[in-house]
Amino acid sequence: MKQEDTTTPEQPRPPARLPLWANPRIGLVVLLIALIALFTTLRPAFLNTQLTLVPMQADISVYAVVGLSQLAVLSLGHMNMAVGRMAAMSAFASGLLHDRLDAPLIVALAGGLAMGALLGALAGIIISRTGVNSFVVTLALDFALIGLVSLLYATFTDGVAFNGLPAGMSALRTDTFADYCAGDVCGPEIPLLAPIALVAVLVVGLLFRWSRVGREVLMTGSNAKAAELSGIPVGWRVVQAHALSGLLAGLAGFLLSANNGSFSAGVGDGFLLPSFLAPVLGGTLLVGGAVSVLGTVLGTAITQVIYKGLNLLQFQVDELKLYIGLVLLAALSLDRLRHVLAERRGVPA
Amino acid sequence: MRPFVRLGSIVGVLAVVIAASACTKKEDNPDGGSTALTAAQVKVALVPGGAHPYFQPWKDAGGKAKTDFAFGDVTFNETAGWDQTKQNDVLTSLAAQGYNAFGIFGVAPESINSTFENLKKQGFHVGSLASCPAGDKNLADFCLSTDVQEAAYKAAKAAVEAMGGAGNLVHLTGNKVDSNTQRRIAGVQKAVDETGGKVKLLDTITDIDKDLQTAQKAVADLLAAKGSQVNAIVTTAYNPAVAAAGGVKQAKLPIKVIAIDDDPTIIAGIKAGEVAATVLQNPVGQAYVGSYALVKLSEGCTMATPGVIIDSGSFVVTTANVATYDNDRAAKTTSLKSDFDSKYLTCAK
Repeated sequence: MKQEDTTTPEQPRPPARLPLWANPRIGLVVLLIALIALFTTLRPAFLNTQLTLVPMQADISVYAVVGLSQLAVLSLGHMNMAVGRMAAMSAFASGLLHDRLDAPLIVALAGGLAMGALLGALAGIIISRTGVNSFVVTLALDFALIGLVSLLYATFTDGVAFNGLPAGMSALRTDTFADYCAGDVCGPEIPLLAPIALVAVLVVGLLFRWSRVGREVLMTGSNAKAAELSGIPVGWRVVQAHALSGLLAGLAGFLLSANNGSFSAGVGDGFLLPSFLAPVLGGTLLVGGAVSVLGTVLGTAITQVIYKGLNLLQFQVDELKLYIGLVLLAALSLDRLRHVLAERRGVPA
Repeated sequence: MRPFVRLGSIVGVLAVVIAASACTKKEDNPDGGSTALTAAQVKVALVPGGAHPYFQPWKDAGGKAKTDFAFGDVTFNETAGWDQTKQNDVLTSLAAQGYNAFGIFGVAPESINSTFENLKKQGFHVGSLASCPAGDKNLADFCLSTDVQEAAYKAAKAAVEAMGGAGNLVHLTGNKVDSNTQRRIAGVQKAVDETGGKVKLLDTITDIDKDLQTAQKAVADLLAAKGSQVNAIVTTAYNPAVAAAGGVKQAKLPIKVIAIDDDPTIIAGIKAGEVAATVLQNPVGQAYVGSYALVKLSEGCTMATPGVIIDSGSFVVTTANVATYDNDRAAKTTSLKSDFDSKYLTCAK
């Protein structure tokens, strides 16, 4: 789903067909399969359904959405340093709705998403109105929200989390489709969280590939001046992309709350680095104008597979960090090598 | 094209709804299907929330427990990195590796019950070590931990006594968005309230237990800004304790320091009269007796009161008992083990 071609729909150009080896996503899939094969050979427990595959799918679901949240603004060449705290505020909004108004799951989720989108839009408005760099604006917002989240939890809860979850939220954590049967036919061992993330992936993918708004956001990211001169409402697109980023951060916060079992102030603490890692590993450009939704999902899957594999090999804390770094460097270098080879042979990759 | 997409979407959604409505949920197996094991089959995993000096004695204590109680294996894994999602990942990876009894210091007390529930559902035995879940429910088999509120209360009482019953007190502690920190703050506040206004809590400085540098900087800032007004500092986290002991000594201020735990610099400070007192916890007892209880549970014993919360002990050490404090701690560990045999565990003869 990489969007590198910014021609308008009125002047279609037949896309050059990539050879399989030059397609970056194929490279990531091959790497993913190789890693799974490697870890399975070293530790057969890697294919244990209940203890490895199901929890890993749940983690991939959460962190794929985290990656998409950053991707939404990377499309503009912007950054969202407040992705974790937007998730925390969204989780707070969901928790408050359930705690005070006894809101059901879907209302709590909608409230959380609205909070995330509002915060994202706020960042977008400040950026587009003032022209201040997105890094600075969202970093400042992050600092402000760290304090606010802490104050809000201290005011509205006994400490740092809401007691209780909406009905059905525990099932999102504990159940897989295999727990639900029609007669003798049960579903696959896929956690209930996964389809929610899948919907987010599809919507963001379709948005950037097919929708006018998505294409215009990419054109803004590619060249804001040219986009403005072409009649694109650049400021409004910036606000929309940041609102989408906030909304997705909110969704990630909800998914993590479901996965961990509480709406707490700590939600989103570990989101920042993975939010960049997955899209960049997947081929999204930091400078804007090109995103890869499928690549982000694959990037997330690769990182989680590496993490799970190294955990199973029982590396100690320093070794674990060292090897995660080395494997990711190797992955990025291989991708770069593929890119260079493709360029030499005159294939755009 | 669009009508087909819409029609396809409607048909897809209807198909999912119809399929979902025909589904029923499989019955859960509430006891997780755990079966009695021999001691040699029990593999204990001791999993702290991340790397921290407090947990280092767990390694040797776990090893000693393995020798003394002749169980299969023990491992110590500190790779969770203070992230609940990562800790969940570490735990399932250890379970996939064959570890079947877990002594856990949960990263997030507000959501650790979900982790315990997940592990118990799969038939594993779980002890919550060094920290209990937030709220009034513990879903682990038992919680063997310092009563942090009581320990903070004892420390603050010692501070009040050291400062002569009147003056200004400062509290240095860890992560604010952690329910254990909230309990510590409440413990200190209780001791201050009991003075009837004679002691004023000048400041509570949180989030400085990440590493020693952070704590040292906070102490230096505090002493520079308010050093002359402060009569005593009570610390309820490891790094702030070490930093306060060193900082006050360096600044040569007449401030009484009440530390926590037994870092060599703190014990040396007590011996030299620079640290008024320290409140010790019992990490060895937690890991040693916790491992023992987990082996017993795996062998078929049950908890007389599932989820019982047991204080692993806290000890105020001053110059008077600095030479003998470890005897008290060892005696507490021995009595904890006998309490498990006589009170907490129910075993078939």
